[in-house]
Amino acid sequence: MTSRTILALAGHEYRSAVRSRVLLLLIFSMVVITAGAITIASYDFRAQLADYHAYVRDATAAGVTTIAPPQLFPLQLLRGVLEYVQIIGAVLAIGLGYLSIARERTGNTLALIMSRPVRGRDLFFGRLVGAAALIATVLVAAAVVSVILIGTVGGQWLSGTELVRLAIAFSIGILYMLLFYALGTWLSARSTTLANGLVVALVVWLSVVLIIPQIGDTMDPDNQVPGGLFTALQVKKPDEKKILANFSTYETIRNSLEETSLTKHYERLSFAVTGIKDKYNGKPLSLITDEKRGDIGWIALYTALLGALMWMGLRRESATRRES
Amino acid sequence: MSATVVIARQQLLMLARRRTFILMLGVLLLMTALSGFIGWSSHATIIRVYDETVRTLTAAGKPAPPNPFASKPRLALLNNMIIYLPLIGALVAIVIGHISVMADRQAGVTRAIFSRPVRRSAYFWGKLAASAIAVAAIMVACLVLSVIALTLINSGLPTAAEFVRLALFYGLSGLYLMLFVLVGAIAALLTRSQSMALFVAVAAWVLVTFATPQFTSGLRPVASLNPVTDPVTTTNSAFFRATSKAKPISVGEQYKALSSRILTAGSRFEPARTTRQVAPIAVFVLLLGGWTSLLVRRHDFSEGALRD
Repeated sequence: MTSRTILALAGHEYRSAVRSRVLLLLIFSMVVITAGAITIASYDFRAQLADYHAYVRDATAAGVTTIAPPQLFPLQLLRGVLEYVQIIGAVLAIGLGYLSIARERTGNTLALIMSRPVRGRDLFFGRLVGAAALIATVLVAAAVVSVILIGTVGGQWLSGTELVRLAIAFSIGILYMLLFYALGTWLSARSTTLANGLVVALVVWLSVVLIIPQIGDTMDPDNQVPGGLFTALQVKKPDEKKILANFSTYETIRNSLEETSLTKHYERLSFAVTGIKDKYNGKPLSLITDEKRGDIGWIALYTALLGALMWMGLRRESATRRES
Repeated sequence: MSATVVIARQQLLMLARRRTFILMLGVLLLMTALSGFIGWSSHATIIRVYDETVRTLTAAGKPAPPNPFASKPRLALLNNMIIYLPLIGALVAIVIGHISVMADRQAGVTRAIFSRPVRRSAYFWGKLAASAIAVAAIMVACLVLSVIALTLINSGLPTAAEFVRLALFYGLSGLYLMLFVLVGAIAALLTRSQSMALFVAVAAWVLVTFATPQFTSGLRPVASLNPVTDPVTTTNSAFFRATSKAKPISVGEQYKALSSRILTAGSRFEPARTTRQVAPIAVFVLLLGGWTSLLVRRHDFSEGALRD
């Protein structure tokens, strides 16, 4: 395995995708949609911030000396963006994987590449590095737009620590999307008709990203009433836990269902890092890493599985295309 | 046999032979069958949670609140279908529309068809009729599965009123899915690449299902997946006030709101409100149908091979 070959293949992957109109369309959609999500959230944030400043003015005028800090966290505005990465980012990555195979097949370039001293490993890592660079381009664009909109529309620029957390959340997003890229590559490579591979990948996406988390969510007793069941019943948190302890089997089944979804692990981890999940807001990253080791483990498992499948898909593709 | 009938029959046969279409249809039917079970399981658990809550509160000497599920209609057990149809059903519909145009173009069948005295309008109506029949057949299959699920869960057949409501729900869903059949067909007529056509159609679906509700109701993408979540309308900014004005034409939201009324609300029909909710879906179907007809008339079907 030579790094020069890998970089050359990665460069080829990146340039080919950039020249494709499909990619540009997908990037454009992703940036526009995330910008929309963050704009709505930022306007809301600005209104809350203004309310807080008005409260501070009134309290100071009334002679109050101790004023509570605002319970406003700009990173929480990223929720919509992270959910779009979760849903649309996954489709985009499947599309990139599919296009990578489609380009080689329609242009018949794989045979040419394989006529050079390129090994299977070079092809695998070259494609992966190229795809990672592409996905990073999309997510960096989304992140930059988010930071600018939070600062300009929301009225609060992110601090250094918050930027680090944002970078970690988007890095998890890159890994998450790379897994769907591997899925798209594998299914397209093993399909004789490429469009069939794409449709099957979309079915998998539908199941993993939308259906399984949806079932888990709707089976949650607290999601059965708008605003939450326990809020409607005026039950406090300690009592809620005591009541739910009697339904541990049901909760285990529901949780196990969610555990099978890669998307749910991505969501839990990125929401913890950004503090979108209140429980983790302001907590040190070491504690979050420790508490979220289950999700990290599942993501690592999916990485190994999809990496192996993509590897097999590419080997098969190389062999088949060389024969043809 | 007229050309329209021949074209419609050929497309239905082609759909039945497509494994990808059968796979997606299988997922939809499986989820329809599971929907009743999921609804029943969640409902049974939540009733037990309520009973347990009452016991806990009574033991603590606090008054027990009324049961929020006491008057829930039996059809509410199927309210997951309000989510599954716009998710899985709409993607199945996109595949139907996509295949109806792309398969012929890819196989070069259109050149053979138009070498005969076949009118463009006959081709369009044949394709539209076949797609409508396919959607109707899928809705009937879903209706049958829902009736079976309700019968098993409630240990008895649905009442006549419940059956009418179910039929109305699947009728509305069929109309909503036709929207995506047309989106799939239009995307396929506008592009020469199969993948581009699929992606454009999926992008339109994302826009309708996730992006528009966020602008018009402040509903986050994942919250759109829960049939009982209330829109997050805490924001009152000028930007949101402006975007929320588009809510009446947000077809995805109108479909969900009306479906929810049919399956879970009381028995009042409210003609004016119902018309307001159906109108945008019907208008969009008519507009897209007109656009498809125009594209079919103007399309150069003598083209060469398509890209994958």
